[in-house]
Amino acid sequence: MKRRNRVTRLIGWLSVFAVVTPGFAGQPRVPQASGEDARVFKIFTARVQEYVKLQKNVEASLPALKPTNDAARIAEHEHALARKIVQARSGAGQGDIFTDEVTRQFRRIIRGEFQGPNALQARRTIRPDNPSKAVVRLHVNDVYPENIPLTTTPPTLLSKLPELPKELAYRIVGRDLTLKDTKAGLIVDLIPNAIP
Amino acid sequence: MPAKRRAAFFSLVALAALGLSLYAPELPSPLSALELTLPLKANSVRFAVIGDMGTGEKPQYELAGKMVEYRQKFPFEFVITVGDNIYDGDAPADYESKFERPYKLLLDAGVKFYATLGNHDKPNQRFYKPFNMNGQQYYTHKNGNVRFFALDTNYMNPQQLAWLEKELQNAGSDWAICYFHHALYSSASFHGSATELRGVLEPLFVKYGVQVVFAGHDHVYERVKPQKGIQYFTEGASGSLRAGNLKKSALTAVGYDRDRSFMLVEISGDELYFQTISRTGQTVDSGVIQRVTATSGVSSGPAEQVGPGAGYE
Ligand SMILES: [Fe+2]
Repeated sequence: MKRRNRVTRLIGWLSVFAVVTPGFAGQPRVPQASGEDARVFKIFTARVQEYVKLQKNVEASLPALKPTNDAARIAEHEHALARKIVQARSGAGQGDIFTDEVTRQFRRIIRGEFQGPNALQARRTIRPDNPSKAVVRLHVNDVYPENIPLTTTPPTLLSKLPELPKELAYRIVGRDLTLKDTKAGLIVDLIPNAIP
Repeated sequence: MPAKRRAAFFSLVALAALGLSLYAPELPSPLSALELTLPLKANSVRFAVIGDMGTGEKPQYELAGKMVEYRQKFPFEFVITVGDNIYDGDAPADYESKFERPYKLLLDAGVKFYATLGNHDKPNQRFYKPFNMNGQQYYTHKNGNVRFFALDTNYMNPQQLAWLEKELQNAGSDWAICYFHHALYSSASFHGSATELRGVLEPLFVKYGVQVVFAGHDHVYERVKPQKGIQYFTEGASGSLRAGNLKKSALTAVGYDRDRSFMLVEISGDELYFQTISRTGQTVDSGVIQRVTATSGVSSGPAEQVGPGAGYE
C-alpha cells in the first residue's frame, strides 16, 4: 500500500514536470501521448525513477567518481557500482520495468519506426556494427560486454519513446531493446526481439 | 644468478627495449623536410584533428610521432578527437597503451585533448580527465574566436538536441564547429553516410551557422564538397585504416585511404586553413574556408585547395 502511494505521488510529480519542462524547438519533452498511451508511459517512467533512486543510493555508498587521471579508478567505480546494484536487485527479472503493457506499447512504437516510412533510415542506422543475435543475448543484470560496439539508437525512435534520465539509455543489441545503466554498464531490463 | 638464467633475463630486457622502441614515437625528421601550408598568423587558433586512433598498434604510434614533428613547425595547442579513442576494452592498460604512451610527448608538452565518444568507446571515458569531457557525454569549449560543440552521436536523444540548439543560439558571432563520431556524409563503403543523424543535426547546423564539421567512423580521410554551405570532413584514419574503402562519389572533394592521417587546422579571423598529413608526412589535402558573417555575405563555397596534395579528387 505504502509502495503504491509512493508511485502515485511520483506519477503526480512527473505529470507536473512533463507539462512545465520546455523541450527542443518548443516541443514538449515527453512524446505526445494521450489516454491509454499516456497512462502506460507514466507507469514506465515511475519504474525508471525507482531504479534511478536505487542506483543513486547505491552509488552514494561508494567514493564519488569525479574526473580523474587514474583510469583504474574509473574501472573500479564502474565495477563496484555494478556489483552493488546486482546485489540490491538480485531478484530483478525481465519485465520489472518493461511490464507487459509497457512492452506492448513499446513494440507498437518500434514496429511503426522499423516498418513505417522511416524504416529504411532506421534500419540503416542500426545496421553497422550491430551484433547479431546469434553472437549475444543479454539478460537482466548482465554487464554490457566491452567487445561489442554500441549501435546508434535511431534518433527518430528516441523522439517517440519516453525520455530517460541520464543514468539510463535505450540500447539496441541484436534485435533486443535494452535499458542500460550508463554508469554501471548493466542491463537493467530488455524487450527481446523488439526490432521486427 | 646462474649464467643461463642471467642470459635469458638480459634477452628479455633487450626484447622489451626493442618493443618499446618499436612503439615509441619516432625521432623527429629535420624541420626543413616538413611541408607546411598553414600561414602561422599571429594569435591564430591552432589545433589538430584525429579519429579512430585507439588501436595501440604501431601505425598509431608512428602517426603520433608525425604529429610531434609537425608541432615543432606548427605549435598547435590542442587536439580534438572524433571518437573510437580506445578500442577493445578500457582497462588501465588500454588507456596507457592506446592513449597515454602514443601521445606522451604531446601530453608532456601541455597539449590538451578534447574527446568525443565513438561506438567502440566505453561511456565512462567521460570521467577520464585527459579527455577534458568533465563527466559529460556532450559539451562545448571555446578557444579564441571558435566555439566547439563535442557531440555524442551514439545517442542523439531529444535532450542532446535541445541542449545543442540552446548552445548554438548562445554561440554569438564566433566560428561554430561541431565534431562527433558518425559522418553525416561519407563515400566510404563500410559505413557510408549517417543519413538519419543528418536529418536531425543538419537543420540545426544550417539554422545556426555551423560551417565546419569533423567526424570519423569510416577509417579514411575525406573532404566532402560543401553541403548546404557546410564543410564536412571525415578523419577516421588516425590509427585504424580501411585501405581502398573510399569509393569516390559525387560527394568527394578530396579523399585519401592509402595510409593513416591527421589534420592540422589554423583559424585566424574569418579564415580557416587546414592541412591533412599522412603517416609518412605527405600532405594529402589542404585549403582555406572563408567564414560567412551576417555582413560579409561570403559563401564558404568549395574550399579553395592551396596545395597539390596526394589525395585524389
Ligand atoms: Fe566507429
